[in-house]
Amino acid sequence: MKLIIRIMMAFATLTGASLAVAATPLQLSSDVFVERTIEGVDGTKTVVLEKPKMVTPGDSLVFVVKYKNVSATTATNFVVTNPLPPAVAFNGTSDGQEIVSIDGGKNWGFLGDLRVAKEDGATRAAQRSDVTHIKWNLNQPLTAGAEGKLIFRGVVK
Amino acid sequence: MKTRYHIRPRHNIRPQSCIYALLASISVAVFSLPNAAHAAGTLAGTDIQNVASATFDTAAGPVTIQSNTVTIKVDELLDVTVSSTDPGDVITSPGQTSNVQRFRVSNTGNGDEAFALTATVANGGDDFDPSLQQIVIDANGNGVFDAGVDVVYTAGVNEPVIAPDQNITVFVITSTPAGVVDTNRANVSIVAAAVTGTGAPGTSFANAGQGGGNAVVGPTGAQSSASGFLAVQATSVTLNKTATILDPFGGNRPVPGAIVTYSLVATVAGTGLLNNLVITDPIPVGSQYQPASLTLEATALTDAADADAGNFNGTRISVAAGNVPAGQTRTVTFKVLIP
Repeated sequence: MKLIIRIMMAFATLTGASLAVAATPLQLSSDVFVERTIEGVDGTKTVVLEKPKMVTPGDSLVFVVKYKNVSATTATNFVVTNPLPPAVAFNGTSDGQEIVSIDGGKNWGFLGDLRVAKEDGATRAAQRSDVTHIKWNLNQPLTAGAEGKLIFRGVVK
Repeated sequence: MKTRYHIRPRHNIRPQSCIYALLASISVAVFSLPNAAHAAGTLAGTDIQNVASATFDTAAGPVTIQSNTVTIKVDELLDVTVSSTDPGDVITSPGQTSNVQRFRVSNTGNGDEAFALTATVANGGDDFDPSLQQIVIDANGNGVFDAGVDVVYTAGVNEPVIAPDQNITVFVITSTPAGVVDTNRANVSIVAAAVTGTGAPGTSFANAGQGGGNAVVGPTGAQSSASGFLAVQATSVTLNKTATILDPFGGNRPVPGAIVTYSLVATVAGTGLLNNLVITDPIPVGSQYQPASLTLEATALTDAADADAGNFNGTRISVAAGNVPAGQTRTVTFKVLIP
């Protein structure tokens, strides 16, 4: 039942997105790569990012969210939110400027400030594996033509 | 103050079909539980979908936009482990059939996978090679071999399909050759190999994975083997006969009138239990059995064929000593008169 509701909500949001694209002054794109460690014949290890042709549990993923102001005016209070796919465990961002939610997007904060309630009533510090949503709150106005990208990493559960 | 944050939960796993809708809902339920470890990982065929959203303010007011949805499919990891689940050596005996050895085959990959089974009875480093009778799959999952209930495995016909993180019990049924002796051991091994394919870790099979993705060989090489041992327990018996003579003059000469006491000591060696030991001895020609002189372990036995263990039928004595553990002896005595 929960799944059905989620599907309906997703359908609604996707429909809304397709309508919004035509009129939006900002472009937002999402991409994903797989991080592979390649060991050379001399034992040196090189980390490369490749398009995800093959992904199995334990693989490291790199998500890249790009934004660009394609309008002639400045946008303010620019906030990017990325719900973590359920099959992915959060493994940090490149800039460390994000705030996160560990409860499905209800409450937000820096990961180090969040605590998880345990069964015995005590709390423990939140871990990366607890993260359900990531959010960047860009405090500076996004002027016309400005662009950037936000990067976070995850591991396939 | 305007509402700056506009957060909408959205699903990230899109069911591909009715079948996978069920799987997806299971995985959602599992991952939403804290501390619910799923060792095999995300199910093969699951789509990982990522969508970012942004909110910002313009002169016209707050705007919310969505990114494209990027989707990657989780491929099937082929992994398996096999272990022996017998608590120790399985005891057998010379010529015994239907030795049952138990093994557990665990799918440690992330997709439903069929596994081919191969048992080997001729392994080096042991004392004998049993004959393979059957490989049997524990169809009712009770961990006990139920002849006629559990399913006989036939290669290429009924490879068992095991769900991720699940295991099955497999029985290897063998017979022991007649020529083995006490303490002989035999190594019986079984290999389970993913039907989709095996090989070095990282080997991939395009589009062969569950859910439409690829299949990738995991750290186990997608095959695993385990050994179990049969141990022979056998007993042997030796019979030692001695005679003690008491002549009418208090001496020990075999003269007429002398009484000869025969003592038969059966010694059981080896391991286990010797069943139904019967000691018989004909009365020597020219001597006369002394009535009511028969004993077993110093306990008197009647001469009649009746409830007790011994009898004399006119020509021989016979004592049924029953089941005798290895390492023990049974002593029978009787007396004859030299006429």
